[in-house]
Amino acid sequence: MSGNNNHSNPFKIAQQQINDCADILKLNHSTREVLLRPMREFHVHFPVRMDDGTTRIFQGFRVQYNDAKGPTKGGIRFHPEETIDTVRALAAWMTWKCALLDLPLGGGKGGVICNPKELSRFELERISRGYIKAIGAFIGPDKDIPAPDVYTNPQIMAWMVDEYSSIVGKNQFGVITGKPLSLGGSPGRGDATARGGMYALREAAQRLGIDLGKATMAIQGYGNAGCYAASLAEAMFGSKVVAVCDSRGAVTCRNGICIPRVNEHKQKTSSVVSCEGTECVSNDELLALDVDVLVLAALESSVTERNVDQVKARIIVELANGPTTPEADEVLHRKGIHVIPDFLCNAGGVTVSYFEMVQNAYMYYWDENEVHEKLDKRMTKAYHEVLNSAEKYAINMRKAAYVVAVARVVEAMKLRGWV
Amino acid sequence: MISSGIPALDKVIEGLRSGDNVVWQVDGLGNYLRVVHPFVKQALEEHRTVVYVRFAPEWSILHRTPGLTYEEVDPSHGFDSFSAQVNHIIEENGTGAFYVFDNLSSLVTEWATDELLANFFQVTCPYLHELETVAYFALTRGRHSHRAVARIRDTTQVLIDLYHARGELYVHPLKVWDRYSSEMFLPHRFAGTSLTPVLQSGDASTISLTARKPPLRVKADSIAPWDSILRKLAQYSDDELTHLAATTEIQALKQELSQMIIGGDPEFKRLSDEYLSLQDLLEIRNRIIGSGRIGGKAAGMLLARRILLKSPGTTNFANILEEHDSFYIGSDVFFTFLVNNGLFRLRLRLTRNSQISGEEFDRVEERFLEGGFPDEIMEQFKDLLDYFGQAPIIVRSSSLLEDGFGNAFAGKYRSEFCANQGNPEARMQAFLRAVKLVYASAVNPDALAYRRERGLGEADEQMAILVQRVSGSRYRSFFFPTLAGVAFSRNLYRWTDRIDPKQGIVRLVFGLGTRAVNRVGGDYPRLVAVSHPLLRPEVGSKIAFYSQHEVDVLDLAANEFRSVTLNEVFGAGDYPHLELLVSTLQDGFISDPEGIHMNAPARLIITFNNLLAHTKFMPLMKEFLAKLEAAYGYPVDTEFTASCSPGKIRLNLVQCRPMRVPGGSASVLLPARVPRELVLFRATRTISGGTVSRIKYIIYVDPKAYAVKAPLEIKQQIGRIIGRLNRHPDIVRDRVIMMGPGRWGSSNIMLGVNTTYADINHASVLVEIAREEAGHVPDVSFGTHFFLDLVESRIIYLPLYPDDPQAHFNAPFFASSSNSLGRFVSHPERFEEFIKLIDVPLAADGRYAQVAADPHSGKAICLLHAD
Repeated sequence: MSGNNNHSNPFKIAQQQINDCADILKLNHSTREVLLRPMREFHVHFPVRMDDGTTRIFQGFRVQYNDAKGPTKGGIRFHPEETIDTVRALAAWMTWKCALLDLPLGGGKGGVICNPKELSRFELERISRGYIKAIGAFIGPDKDIPAPDVYTNPQIMAWMVDEYSSIVGKNQFGVITGKPLSLGGSPGRGDATARGGMYALREAAQRLGIDLGKATMAIQGYGNAGCYAASLAEAMFGSKVVAVCDSRGAVTCRNGICIPRVNEHKQKTSSVVSCEGTECVSNDELLALDVDVLVLAALESSVTERNVDQVKARIIVELANGPTTPEADEVLHRKGIHVIPDFLCNAGGVTVSYFEMVQNAYMYYWDENEVHEKLDKRMTKAYHEVLNSAEKYAINMRKAAYVVAVARVVEAMKLRGWV
Repeated sequence: MISSGIPALDKVIEGLRSGDNVVWQVDGLGNYLRVVHPFVKQALEEHRTVVYVRFAPEWSILHRTPGLTYEEVDPSHGFDSFSAQVNHIIEENGTGAFYVFDNLSSLVTEWATDELLANFFQVTCPYLHELETVAYFALTRGRHSHRAVARIRDTTQVLIDLYHARGELYVHPLKVWDRYSSEMFLPHRFAGTSLTPVLQSGDASTISLTARKPPLRVKADSIAPWDSILRKLAQYSDDELTHLAATTEIQALKQELSQMIIGGDPEFKRLSDEYLSLQDLLEIRNRIIGSGRIGGKAAGMLLARRILLKSPGTTNFANILEEHDSFYIGSDVFFTFLVNNGLFRLRLRLTRNSQISGEEFDRVEERFLEGGFPDEIMEQFKDLLDYFGQAPIIVRSSSLLEDGFGNAFAGKYRSEFCANQGNPEARMQAFLRAVKLVYASAVNPDALAYRRERGLGEADEQMAILVQRVSGSRYRSFFFPTLAGVAFSRNLYRWTDRIDPKQGIVRLVFGLGTRAVNRVGGDYPRLVAVSHPLLRPEVGSKIAFYSQHEVDVLDLAANEFRSVTLNEVFGAGDYPHLELLVSTLQDGFISDPEGIHMNAPARLIITFNNLLAHTKFMPLMKEFLAKLEAAYGYPVDTEFTASCSPGKIRLNLVQCRPMRVPGGSASVLLPARVPRELVLFRATRTISGGTVSRIKYIIYVDPKAYAVKAPLEIKQQIGRIIGRLNRHPDIVRDRVIMMGPGRWGSSNIMLGVNTTYADINHASVLVEIAREEAGHVPDVSFGTHFFLDLVESRIIYLPLYPDDPQAHFNAPFFASSSNSLGRFVSHPERFEEFIKLIDVPLAADGRYAQVAADPHSGKAICLLHAD
């Protein structure tokens, strides 16, 4: 999940990561070959009636990367610059994420080339239904379970479930996750990513002997995940959040930032900058703060060769995808800074998606606490498995996470007699 | 003592004195010559400066002779411009000059009312007096309203009747200031060079009775068109007027009436001829307070209403348009106010020198607020307020130049809401305050800069006022319309090619339309492309952020205009047809309500989704814009309010004016194969077009330093520094690009540099450096007053998104160029970190900058080029 080179083909990056991991695991050639390619991919073109009466043809993809461990799972993106290689790479990463959490799922991803800024609500609905009609034969609760992703949302998932149910002639809520709460969605989904990260942080702190109740924390990126992380860290551990930032700048308060106040300020002004009771600093200064925990919840490639030397935190929590470049990763490892890598750290989302499927299949819904408990168990277990692997192979946490995940997929393939 | 050139007269009035204004009430120009010629002859012999101010269409009363300064002034450009020119002449000729003016009565033919004539006199005389001049004026006797003559009499130092009776000429001094003799104010027979007093009472009464003049204080039949046309029309009954509408005489009267009320702009005249009937004009006349024109804004509103009602189409707008019952405060009232309150010359001074600071303007505003109105105007104000009762009203500027073809004056002049609650005295005080604030806004720094910029500094600009009933209804203690906004028949904010720019765009808000017209930080109207109303430029939960969070209302309990949160309005949850206006945000996604049930914990977001998808509102707006554009023959820019229920939409057209379309709309060829090191930046998504070469300066506000390092107080001052640079003579002379973070003109300094139009009006190119946030194409301030200013001023506006892969920003050039700020402002140290003034030739080996922007491809480039 590296983002060190935005202009490279993302699928090439994903393949390089598999090769690196295969080297550590000393996998044979044929096993590598299976892992390096998606098992199935669908390219579909489907007609959509536009509001003005004309018909437009849209192109979509669905990639089922590897289903050795179970039906594939992954989001659907509605993006004007969607490419098959992006979808392939994302499907590969979903495979490892599901495996890392030991979910009985493989990895998949899908997308439709379209620009939601150019589409009315009704057109969006027809595209959603058109896409499901096109791939309906290849998805299902036992085959492939989509979810929301870039520019798709619970409403779109609801239309898709409805379309799929019409195709198969029965209600099939489990075919898609990320649905509205009132239509088979799971409680606890909203903050699942941040909460999962906090469970992993708790384990890491315990391992390093850091008392989170006295710890200071800086949060880079104050979108959905960063905002939840701030509130949860305070509520769960009593940690002191001393700095937060977004694209417009960073603010600090040595005595701890008032989180409700900063949330309100952000809602009003779209930024945390100039929130009352805080001082402005630069985003680089935030990364260099002498804090116990640094949460990276912004864009990819935030910690790079350029600034990694200034990082003083003891633990880095990667809630964003690819916030640390591989070069910086090595430096952090050498400095002894403990990194909870992204695809472990932000796996809470897919885990609760899995819980949603389970609840749909049971036709019985848990309360939020039950979801939290089960998420905690999964995240805690996964964290320790990665830690053990890192220690066993003397590799950094990110590589260790790959090793755990890929090994699980390989094991399933082997048991099924594929390799 | 100064001689009038007629020794006998000198004896009667004890001579002229420095500072005397002498008004001759004459019954013919011949009489006037009898006194003018000796006066001029005498003055020239004494080697005085003698100035003849010529403006009447009749023959010249003085020939060009050596020593006589001959000044021609054209009154057809209006009172304001005429008075300013005369003022200028007086200023030029200085102390002690002698003046002869043409017959003042000729001015009313041009200006339509006696009121303006008296105003002219009242502003000119005191200045002449102050400069110790002697000036002769003539006035045709018995042809002006007693009020105007009385004002002239009160102002002048000397007033003398000069008339024929029983075949002889009489001189009858009516006022001779500070001089008295027992025979001074008797009629004097003027024969040859002698003046003989008429001492016999019998003779005197005979002369007075036979003199062709009515007693002074009886209302005269004014020759001013304002009165005379209405008098002529009054001779016809309504039926006769309808019956005779096509006759030449009535047509001519209609034309004259239209000229007096609407004005002489050829485009307005064409529309007025086509769409306004004589009856319409008379109805307008009946609602004018005082005299004079109704101004551009009022005219635009009235014409647009008639166009909608008269043009054929699928919708009968008679069932859609709300009735209007506006009043107009005639443009003459403005000048009477200035003149009566000693503000005319202050305004003249300010008009000539636009460098007025905000603080100075505050003091000027105070002086306006202290001013008063004549009794008869106050009576009419009372009638107006009685008419509206306690209904909220809005007092809107409607100046002569405003909203015309070519000048929108968007937002330059004020509009003031009157919640109109409380006892009659309190309501009157609030109303008067509103009127005076609108008047004062005629000299606000922004308006003055705008006028000078367009060469309108000396143009006739009178402030009429439109008093409108605020459209809306009461909900709890608030008063507001359900819907309001601005609608343009051309859409320049086209975020996807699907949108047809020729069908227009609507900026729609809930509550009063102030939010749609102005740029309010952190608050967003719904932008609706008329061709595709259901599209929007934001996606997902970003819609919630880029929506309207506050509502502008009139708080009837507090008797004031307020911005309140949505919760304050929607709190009770029973706002009528709420389901048409809002969507709900729950679990991170937005959905549109079905029926009136809304989930309690959901946050309400104003989207108007159901209104746009399920009512006739947008088809109606489409027809509305198309009709107006077709009639105007030009894209239009309108303001409206509306009420809605599922089956019914009612519209109220508040304003209509020709729309400004930026620069050239033709394609601009961008220079190709420019070496990368010569490119300063490339921008995408530009909507302005044009090429500007030889740009010498770049004012660059560093976005990063601004966002991260600039303390609040520095941020607040940066706009002022930019304003100072903008007005610096070197910057005014050469071309300049201004580049800064976020939104120029924002009142929220967190969003961008807080500037007004007057702070940036000399820029050739204005660049907003903005980071695109995921899922949102920033609203480029299109449709706001600020944007219109840029468009009108032909300032190329470029949004620059550094995050856009196709954009380019030559950061090393901006970082390494030296900062010339110190050359332009003293103590630049505090600002140098944030504002860089780049002298381009200095920084680029003699090269200048050039900007080319192509509105069709949306691309723009700024590059260095050799001189």
